[in-house]
Amino acid sequence: MMDESELRRRFAQLREADREREPSFAQTYGRAHARRSWRATLRVRPLVIGAAAAIAIAAVWLAPARSFSPSAVTPTIVTWRAPTDVLLRTPGSDLLGGMPALGASVLDTMIPTPSEKGA
Amino acid sequence: MDEIELRRELERAHADCFGWAMTCCGRDRDDAEEVLQTVYLTVLDGRAHYDARSSFRTWLFGVIRRTAASERRKAWLHGLLLKREAGSLKPEAPAPPDAEVERDSRCHSLRHALARLAARQREVLQLVFYHELTVDEAAAVMGITTGSARTHYARGKARLATLLGDAREL
Repeated sequence: MMDESELRRRFAQLREADREREPSFAQTYGRAHARRSWRATLRVRPLVIGAAAAIAIAAVWLAPARSFSPSAVTPTIVTWRAPTDVLLRTPGSDLLGGMPALGASVLDTMIPTPSEKGA
Repeated sequence: MDEIELRRELERAHADCFGWAMTCCGRDRDDAEEVLQTVYLTVLDGRAHYDARSSFRTWLFGVIRRTAASERRKAWLHGLLLKREAGSLKPEAPAPPDAEVERDSRCHSLRHALARLAARQREVLQLVFYHELTVDEAAAVMGITTGSARTHYARGKARLATLLGDAREL
């Protein structure tokens, strides 16, 4: 059976062997510090992403409101005409614009009557 | 305790902490270093706060023990088997000189005998013989009563002496 002093000696040898494999304090502490900085970055990241998302949502929400804002120079929908409206006016569209009357001819609008000639 | 003072205390206890971390990590050097980094980080962040109810070293040993247990659980969850297989593929270190061979052989037999003890017996013996703590301090580190620690100490010491005696006879 082994006595206590022998046990202590064995453990001292084990301690000595461990000391040779021990990483330096500076190295371990430095790595812990680096991990701390990285964790700080990770902690801030959700805030940055959240802020960016909030800005994007606000931008989307405010953008249509700005485009529909009333302006003094903008014509109302009743008076406004599209610049390409002229393209919709086809030859003879005047003839088809009104309701034809019974006994009347489409030529009446094109050929002046004698009274109109006299005037 | 401010950060500079903490750093000084950690530096003073570093060698002891590494030895204790080795015990808590099944004598795996990489795991022990990882645990030690996590412990320093925990202390620096103030997540583990020293309240001066025991010595700084005793308190730090308790933090290391809890951190190692937590890391073990995490490792188990992340597939401990894969890690062990990868670890077994590490290249072997070059052969040491003869004087070291004898010491390494003694250390190996002690490690082997310690590995065969119950976890609490191993821890209390390591704390008392390796770190030269009292049984009361070891009980504080392990979070058990002094009476319980004394029981583990007595049984562990007897078993270890038997195991080492058997190894010497072989």
